[in-house]
Amino acid sequence: MANPKTKQAILLLLAAVIALVMVLPLVWMLSTAFKNDFEALSGRMDFLPRKPTLDNFKQGLGGELMNTPVLRWIANSLSVGVIGTGLVLLIDSMAAFALARLNDLPLRRVLLPMFIASLMIPGVLTFLPMYMEFNSLGLINTYPALILPATAGAFGVFLLYQFFVSFPKEIEEAGRIDGVNKWQLYARILLPSAVPIMVTLGIFTFMGIYNDFVWPLYATTSPEMRTITAGIAMMATGSYTQSYGKLMAMTTIAALPVVLIFILGQKSFLRAITSAGVK
Amino acid sequence: MKSAWTSRLTSFLFILPYLAAFGLFLLFPILYGVVISLQDFELLSAEHAFVGLSNYITIFTPGTYENSLFFKGLWTTAQFVLYSVPLLIVIGLGLAMLLNALPARVRGLFRTFYFLPYALSASVMAVIWLMMFDTNAGFLNSLLAKLGMAGIPWLTDTPWAWISLVSTTIWWTIGFNMIIFINALNEVPEEYYEAASIDGAGPWSRFVSITLPTIRPVLLFVMITSTIASFNIYAQPFLLTRGGPGDTTRVLLINVLDQAFARKDVGSASAMAILMAVLIMAVSVVQFKLTNRKEKA
Repeated sequence: MANPKTKQAILLLLAAVIALVMVLPLVWMLSTAFKNDFEALSGRMDFLPRKPTLDNFKQGLGGELMNTPVLRWIANSLSVGVIGTGLVLLIDSMAAFALARLNDLPLRRVLLPMFIASLMIPGVLTFLPMYMEFNSLGLINTYPALILPATAGAFGVFLLYQFFVSFPKEIEEAGRIDGVNKWQLYARILLPSAVPIMVTLGIFTFMGIYNDFVWPLYATTSPEMRTITAGIAMMATGSYTQSYGKLMAMTTIAALPVVLIFILGQKSFLRAITSAGVK
Repeated sequence: MKSAWTSRLTSFLFILPYLAAFGLFLLFPILYGVVISLQDFELLSAEHAFVGLSNYITIFTPGTYENSLFFKGLWTTAQFVLYSVPLLIVIGLGLAMLLNALPARVRGLFRTFYFLPYALSASVMAVIWLMMFDTNAGFLNSLLAKLGMAGIPWLTDTPWAWISLVSTTIWWTIGFNMIIFINALNEVPEEYYEAASIDGAGPWSRFVSITLPTIRPVLLFVMITSTIASFNIYAQPFLLTRGGPGDTTRVLLINVLDQAFARKDVGSASAMAILMAVLIMAVSVVQFKLTNRKEKA
């Protein structure tokens, strides 16, 4: 180990082996998605399918599989994710702006600690009563049930609050002298400067809503209201248990948006995680 | 006076939408959950009689169905926490240190690889591993067959079921802990290490006497978040082992949701959910207190 070059080579080799372990299941998923069910169950270790086929994707997207309207699931997931994220960005930024910048906000001293404390509440505490709440409102199996629960999270308020609090006071004061009111201050001065942190929160929120599967599994009851993640869980526990070709085509489709967003927005996403870690 | 009043109202309007969401989908459910847990609450019936603490008493009465459901589930979940949390911490820290020891130009690439599974949904992750673990046609057993070894009942026998659940969890979530640790390691002042090197400290003693004490708050954070996450385990046993073999991996959350939706006893399930939430919060507090005391000593 005395030779630093040998040490570097050993470390690189180790890192490469671990990287292989991390990526292998995803490569195998892709490979299996292009195999027919027979070949997928053959137990052969072919990374390149012997008879590559697009049937799994065609049947899935074409709605030919029983009770699995996959295109609808994707549309559900994307729209629920986009609308939910938009809502979170809007109401969280307004709330964070008020908490950080508006000194005459009533109850300010109570609200901020209450929001921060709520970050420690485990989801299991609200799951069943929220289900009963949506049930009595007649909202189970509707889009609001898939969207609204995400708006209560305090993470975004907390993240944006930290940003707005450190925003230079002088710029705000210059605005006030020019006769800018609170709405203009929010929309024209603070919001534009917060674009990078809003992108971070947006990516984080979208991935959270899109990837959630336990709530959508229970909050939807008919096949066409499922999200793709809940739909896949239903398929895997239902009639497609060992149809690995079809299942892997579906997981490939489901993983595609989040993996793309993750790779493109990796820096933003990592920033959200590290700011969650700074306490 | 009037203008100050309207100004305060305007300020309040900014926070009103979030406050409404917070009240409707967080505060109200918490309180409503307590109310439900005090009722004989059948999922499909419209009337729910107030029964006081009876749901809780049943859970704590030995011999009842609810008692075994809750405590068996709790023990199963506790086992998963014990198996997974130490590994999630050690491997997370290990990967972070490995990445930091690599040349800067390949660091980003490897970080992306290690972190990629974290971007996946729990259901996608579980279904991928369902295929990897398949006894007859799965990737792992095919690989073993190629090496001339017997297949392993990954999901249908112990201890393999536990090994499978823990390793998929590590594969899926280790990126999160790794990122937190990388951040913490980068904030250890370089001078500390330099001073230690001059004193002739080797890599291990530098790790024990400098790295660990400096990143202690982050270590605590990762310990708490990993414990909470492992306490909430659901997707892996729900989709991979279906609680099996027998009910060895039927974790608490599976039992709670089963009590509510399969047995339709939402009152008793809510009582279990509240007990579980209290336990999770208590564990965090205890971990926090314990680690703080060590620091003072």
